[in-house]
Amino acid sequence: MDADRRGQWLRGVLDLCVLALLRDGESYGYELAQALDVAGVGPIQGGTLYPVLLRLQRTGLVTAQWREGGSGPARKYYQLTDDGRAALHHGGTAWLAFVAPVTDIVTKGVDG
Amino acid sequence: MNADEWLRVFAAELHQRRVAADAARHVVAEAATHLREGGGDPWLVFGPPQAYAATIVESIGTVPGPRPGPVRLDARGITKRYGRRTVLRDAALTVRAGQIAAVVGANGCGKSTFLRICAGLVSPDAGEVTVSGRLGFCPQQGGTADFLLPDEHFVLVGAGQGVAREPARRAGRAAARQLGWDAQGDVLARHLSGGTRQKLNLTMSTLAEPDVLLLDEPYQGFDQGSYVNLWDQLIRLRDAGRAIVVVTHLLNQLDRVDVVLDLTPAHQGGHS
Repeated sequence: MDADRRGQWLRGVLDLCVLALLRDGESYGYELAQALDVAGVGPIQGGTLYPVLLRLQRTGLVTAQWREGGSGPARKYYQLTDDGRAALHHGGTAWLAFVAPVTDIVTKGVDG
Repeated sequence: MNADEWLRVFAAELHQRRVAADAARHVVAEAATHLREGGGDPWLVFGPPQAYAATIVESIGTVPGPRPGPVRLDARGITKRYGRRTVLRDAALTVRAGQIAAVVGANGCGKSTFLRICAGLVSPDAGEVTVSGRLGFCPQQGGTADFLLPDEHFVLVGAGQGVAREPARRAGRAAARQLGWDAQGDVLARHLSGGTRQKLNLTMSTLAEPDVLLLDEPYQGFDQGSYVNLWDQLIRLRDAGRAIVVVTHLLNQLDRVDVVLDLTPAHQGGHS
């Protein structure tokens, strides 16, 4: 896939993906990057991910704290806030409303 | 450039862009953790340190530089001759509270002489220095007592300010930690390495909480890490409203300072 195009799509939706991944529990940067990769979104570089996390933190959608892992190094763990949960709901609904018709149109184009 | 170097340059870039010190530390630590867990070339994972620092600034913003306060040091028309040789001709420097000034120039252009005149240790042949507030001076070498422990140096400085032994010792150790140095220990000053002795020197010059701090190439014998700690510390002191003058021949720090006085002949006169 065209990497530029994929990058553009990601810019618009990476914050929602992160919020969604944090819905069921806290996580840290590297783990989030891996989760996105495993889900099939593709590799997300730290240089793309952390600025998004910082923005989410600054706007109060997530909180963060440094903690020692069990045996691993200290990591910065992110948790969803109530505002983050609300933003995920609104943003997610809007995204779904957007991609459904897009998928529809593109599917017709590709299949036809 | 390996990962450590990348992180160091990145940290310096954040400071230079006036990202709050705490926030910068967290961002750097997080990048370091990521690199440790995932491996990978920082240039691919994060990109060039300058560009990534710029992105971080977009995400979290910067602290506005504190407004410079009142003039703390005002040196005008400083001229100094040694015999027939004029080392300083009409040099001038004004530093306000909350500013760092760098005095630069080739070897032998009178940087140290200028600083010693500002400190009142040398008289100029012409010109005048006005200092408002308490003055701290960190010489290039000397300033420590060979047969005393670091702790005893702190106690001495404390005694000069009417601070009791134990609080003085605690304050000294805390100030030393700001430079990444654990001053606890039973090593006489004369047995400290050159770099560590210089840290002792520096620690003492900041202990009296001077309003004006004069530093003559304060990083002699420092490794790269100590050098970074030193500049972090200077930025902290600056942001706490101190006026700082650093004599340096290293030009790579100049964009972190507020005022530059270039004493290379034909360049004299301070400019912001």
